[in-house]
Amino acid sequence: MRSPVRLERRLTQPRWLNSAIPVFSLMGALVVGAVVLLATGKNPLDVYWRILDRGFLSQRAVTGTLRTATPLAFTGMCAAAAFRLGVINIGGEGQLYIGAVGAALVGLWIGGSAPVGITIIVMVLAGMLFGAMYASIVGVLRSQFNTNEIITSLMMNYVAGIVLNYLIFNSRSYWRDPRSVGFPSGKPLEKRTFWPTYEVFSTSVSFGFLLAIAAAIVLWVVYKRSRLGFEIGIIADSPRAARYVGIRTKWTIVAVTAMSGALAGLGGTSQVGDFAHYLDAKGLQLNNFGYTGIVVAALARLNPLGAILVAVLMGGLTNAGYSLQGPDFPSGLVGTLQGLILFTAVAGEILTKYRLRSNRNAVKAVAV
Amino acid sequence: MSKRLSKKWLPLAVTVALGVGLVACGDDDSSSSDDTTATADTTATADTTATADTTAAPVDSAAPAPSADWAANFTPWEGSKPVACGPEEGQPLKAAWVYVGPINDGGWTQTHDEGRQAVQTHFGDKVETTYKENVPEGEQVGQVIEDLIADGNTVIFGTSFGFQDAFVAAAEKHPDVCFEFATGFKSAPNLSQYYGAAEDTDYLAGMAAGAATKVGKIGYLASFGIPEVVRGINAFTLGARAVNPDATVKIAWVNSWFDPPVERKQAEALVTAGVDVLGMKGVDSPATGDAAKAAGIPWAGYNRDNSANYGDVWLTGTQYHWDVYEIPRLQQVLDGTWTAGNYHGTIADGFVDMSTYGDLVSEETRTKIEAKKAELAANTGGQFTGPIIDNSGKEQLAAGKQHTYGELMAMQYLVEGVDGEIPAG
Repeated sequence: MRSPVRLERRLTQPRWLNSAIPVFSLMGALVVGAVVLLATGKNPLDVYWRILDRGFLSQRAVTGTLRTATPLAFTGMCAAAAFRLGVINIGGEGQLYIGAVGAALVGLWIGGSAPVGITIIVMVLAGMLFGAMYASIVGVLRSQFNTNEIITSLMMNYVAGIVLNYLIFNSRSYWRDPRSVGFPSGKPLEKRTFWPTYEVFSTSVSFGFLLAIAAAIVLWVVYKRSRLGFEIGIIADSPRAARYVGIRTKWTIVAVTAMSGALAGLGGTSQVGDFAHYLDAKGLQLNNFGYTGIVVAALARLNPLGAILVAVLMGGLTNAGYSLQGPDFPSGLVGTLQGLILFTAVAGEILTKYRLRSNRNAVKAVAV
Repeated sequence: MSKRLSKKWLPLAVTVALGVGLVACGDDDSSSSDDTTATADTTATADTTATADTTAAPVDSAAPAPSADWAANFTPWEGSKPVACGPEEGQPLKAAWVYVGPINDGGWTQTHDEGRQAVQTHFGDKVETTYKENVPEGEQVGQVIEDLIADGNTVIFGTSFGFQDAFVAAAEKHPDVCFEFATGFKSAPNLSQYYGAAEDTDYLAGMAAGAATKVGKIGYLASFGIPEVVRGINAFTLGARAVNPDATVKIAWVNSWFDPPVERKQAEALVTAGVDVLGMKGVDSPATGDAAKAAGIPWAGYNRDNSANYGDVWLTGTQYHWDVYEIPRLQQVLDGTWTAGNYHGTIADGFVDMSTYGDLVSEETRTKIEAKKAELAANTGGQFTGPIIDNSGKEQLAAGKQHTYGELMAMQYLVEGVDGEIPAG
């Protein structure tokens, strides 16, 4: 039996589609979600209002949403930066851990003596450097030996997790609090080196989130204005053509992978500086920031500024999800709603490139 | 890689990410049951670990006198005053529980939620309870607490060790909300700690295992080499050797609170090494029970009664009853007499108990265990009475002496009969 509809590639992509499709996707998700909610005896309007209120509207909610969004913004940009070049770095998770290790090292080392401003700057640089170095292993393997980077970067996430566990649980390392006789935990940073938060319209915004916005702007400029951005575009389109015109493809792959790792490393740095204030081996691993970042990148269509917006959306949805659940709202139902919204958002994407055509009235396609 | 290729790979990458994410979510589930338990020991070391903004728990206070009254096991923090976190006239008291795992994890979180349900049943419409499950340790906790307070909850229970810093921070920010934290060590004028003497029931489970082994070798899965778990290993081993003096307990470290595949593998490795009974401490999943079932050998569980699903291999194990503490504490909130402090439950007040005995535990062994249970109910920690020699041959406790509460909470040696050593750190 033939399907009643078929997909047909759009010859042109009207501009309005770019904003209309996400809106329609979201509405579709809400309608399907409403059916699920009605079937389980809930009032969809109440539920949707609560998602809006607890995720995005009240001042307290926005503060929380931005906090949850911060690591996702970094890991989203990490994935997007590599994907743009066609390097599928799914090692953001591990690069984030290693960035946190680097940031905590510096924070603990000079935090007691150096001026606060210097400490923060050096923490940021160390987090980026550690993340970049860890990611560049993947980049070098890919560019020199043509190793599949999906596998190497994924495997290195597990290695990074083991490193974290070793540093905190299975050794008396520099990162571990020697006073934690009971449950091993990370050595806390000096209180004065905690990263600042800023009050913007009575919403508190962490230094890390501002750093994410700054990073997104820098990336956007790199893509639009710099030679590297231009070369990334060419390599992504055709590596062979890029080589013919003399672009150092191998070097660019390593550089971009390192940059991608630096972004994830910044995410780990912000976890140490903004929130945990020590190397939190368990907390870092339980939240899946790196893997969620891949979804963020896909939804943002690999655009760094888009990654910030999507991270905020994901942050709000996450927080609203916890707000919804309770004895009469099982967490499975929350997951279903969140899944529906994300699924339709990704699925709707296809309609920007293709259009739905009814098969009944279709003129027989001419063979090409 | 061409752009076309990258588009082909992108969905795969997203799928892998979602997959790994889901698996990892599974982990979170119970990741913590024990992490929480793991840390009760820190009560002892609170003086060293407590940070400037928190007061240390009363470290050297002797173990509370045994009593069927929970209040005898509760010590208010020095100088703590009643906190008025009760409801307004005519309104129900709103209390919330924050769980790290799902409410049906078959272990830690499930026992906590059973406690919550018992609270709800006890108070009826005077109290309105809610919970948040699958809350990962880390940044998220603080926001979940804020959200619960925004919903009008004035008593909040935390049940995973990794939540502790968020609870301390929230307690400071909301002095009019009462916080109850299971198995931590930090204190605040409106933050209590509650946990209990699981090593007493671990000893009794060890007796059942000692009686069950024919070759005299028991395999034991343990999470981390921290005092709470070490105490459990030692108690279990002493119990096993009390009924079977030649029995040895071989340890396999899982290095995780919840990792069913690794737990299963480690348990199978123990079976291959020749043990004919399995036990566990600080690990959550019933994976050890699955390995026991596959090998057809007896299993002493932990956390919760699993006799129904593992009937053919089930011996017995430690079981928690959180409501023993929670119900009277909420009554105090209603009466306006709630003060923050430290609670260490015992067999005597019913906080820890043995779960159902399996058919594999003989009548004779049951009688022995019940007799010892009465003894430990009257003298918690009494199984740690000298002479106790560690597994390197060194005497750790002279004849006739009993470990103090503080020594128990900081235990870092393994007794004679344990085949294994505490990992570095």
